[in-house]
Amino acid sequence: MDLLSNLALGLATAATIQNLAYCFAGVFLGTFIGVLPGVGPLAAVAMLLPVSFYLPPETALVMLAGVYYGAEYGGSVASILLNIPGTPSASVTCIDGYPMAQQGRAGVALFSTAMASMFGALFGVAVMVLLSPKLADFALLFQPAEYFSVMVLGLVAASIVSSSGAVRGLMMVCLGVLLGTVGIDVNSGETRFTGGLPQLRDGISLVVVAMGLFGISEVMVSLRGATQSYAGKGLMGSMFPTAAEWGRSLMPAIRGSLVGSFFGTLPGTGQTVASFVGYAVEKRVNRRRDQFGKGTIEGVVVPESANNAAAQTAFIPTLTLGIPGSTTMALMLGALMIHGITPGPRLISEHPELFWGLVVSFVFGNVFLLILNIPLIGIWVRLLRVPHSYLYPTVIVLICVGVYSISNSIADVWAALAFGAIGYALRLFRFEPAPMLIGFVLGPMMEEYFRRAMLLSRGDPGVFVTRPGSAALLAVAALLLLATVLPWKQWVTRGVSAAPSRGQG
Amino acid sequence: MRQLTSHLGPLIMLAAGLAFAIGAAATLDLGSLRRMGPGAFPLLVGSLLAILALIGLVQNLRHPMEMNRADPMAVLGVTGGVAAFAFFTPLAGVLPATTLAVLATGSVIPGFRWPHRIALALGVAAAVWAIFVLGLNIPFTAVRGL
Repeated sequence: MDLLSNLALGLATAATIQNLAYCFAGVFLGTFIGVLPGVGPLAAVAMLLPVSFYLPPETALVMLAGVYYGAEYGGSVASILLNIPGTPSASVTCIDGYPMAQQGRAGVALFSTAMASMFGALFGVAVMVLLSPKLADFALLFQPAEYFSVMVLGLVAASIVSSSGAVRGLMMVCLGVLLGTVGIDVNSGETRFTGGLPQLRDGISLVVVAMGLFGISEVMVSLRGATQSYAGKGLMGSMFPTAAEWGRSLMPAIRGSLVGSFFGTLPGTGQTVASFVGYAVEKRVNRRRDQFGKGTIEGVVVPESANNAAAQTAFIPTLTLGIPGSTTMALMLGALMIHGITPGPRLISEHPELFWGLVVSFVFGNVFLLILNIPLIGIWVRLLRVPHSYLYPTVIVLICVGVYSISNSIADVWAALAFGAIGYALRLFRFEPAPMLIGFVLGPMMEEYFRRAMLLSRGDPGVFVTRPGSAALLAVAALLLLATVLPWKQWVTRGVSAAPSRGQG
Repeated sequence: MRQLTSHLGPLIMLAAGLAFAIGAAATLDLGSLRRMGPGAFPLLVGSLLAILALIGLVQNLRHPMEMNRADPMAVLGVTGGVAAFAFFTPLAGVLPATTLAVLATGSVIPGFRWPHRIALALGVAAAVWAIFVLGLNIPFTAVRGL
């Protein structure tokens, strides 16, 4: 089948009334939840995951994908208006978005965010369409050793982004992998680390860990600062950028999308890296670099296009390798597996309607996002003026109800509370919980492939470095680690500032 | 004292790594290199965590990373809210538990007046009923005994 007939198949799947309706509902609910400060796409997808169990797989995925990029957009709204990033990736948008809002240009910032998001997303979809089938063919050559090494690379990449340093990030990854071993070992049937609790035999639920680590601990951090509302902050002003700003935004949007598409495909790195690197690159190449950080439109366009391109291309490794590109993708993977579909190199050939339907629905979803948001920007702004003392208790209840509704289990609610406390303690000690969740998701798969690779090599651990594919992946991981250890950053900055600061050491 | 507490983070990680590694070695079958048992992978990763924690400790001795300040009242409020939900849902149903959870969490927010707290609690319960029971048909016991 060629590309056109594939896309026609996708259109036939995505353009049913039911799928369009759920796509729209997903985008709307996602934006609504994502606007709430501190609640990112991860929590939004986690909250709506139980709902998707009642839908057919294509519809479920279409809706969750809508929630995902809706929440992503909603997070940017909170960043621009309040300087509170809902997600780490949105924190880059704060740098220029918030100054724009303070200058009374919040409307322009929000409008260009919507445009840049759509541009980046459509760019990412195009990359996905062209690349996925090829990568799937290539991935058929992968053996367990390569799968293991891809995951090592993903985990290393996820941990070195951690703001508290690579060593602490790696510790979090290991802790997550270890938590993933709790429950029955699939190979031997033995239970591990359950402490005799029967509730732990099936392992710890991903939704419980995600809601606890991110939702509950986030509210613990922000709750008591909740007295003020943000009324009056950030005037809307006109929504439309000037003609000059349109012109200045095009190239940054393309560069941002390119960077984003690249980083999205790497397992484990995802949007945060994409938006940071996109911003950093733009700051180097843009002629107006001295305006960055003072509220320039390019500073909003770049991270948003990078972030949304990455959000789409993150589906490439998720669907073709079965390796989630980000924490949110891990939840999507979970949703597919609940429907009995195992993502992997054969997904595209065995479930073409699912894959191509999803691709086409991405296009619809992003268009909906734009149509929905231009008139609704005013409503999101008003939602943010609700005092936070009303929002946080509501968020806590939504988390409780969401966790409870997965399997009507009170034990899950207690477990989420325990993870909330763990997440809070980790933050106190300056550990970042995000790499832990990726470790938790990839851990069980990693162990599986590790043991299988060792079995195939008859117990020779050299297999990971003698197979060229695996060796190359591990070499990249090692280089990434080395880059954080070597003092090249200080070396560069010292080189730059050598002349004036000489004599001070 | 601040110096000491800042080392607590890596020390806890060291303890966690050792606990998993020793637990795996002591209670689970390690198997052979070719056919690994259930204990082999946790032993490896647990040891790796312990080693990383030692490196982190050394880093911390050289450049101590200060702890963030804790807010016990916020922790208490959120814990109280979730606990109220978990405790009262089996006894009274989801909606009464929701009301109590909102009140518990809301009660630690300074300057949030009681009439507002009660109004929010009732409003959220109504919204939960509308969305989850009416809209999504999730089989909850909304109010026990009804």
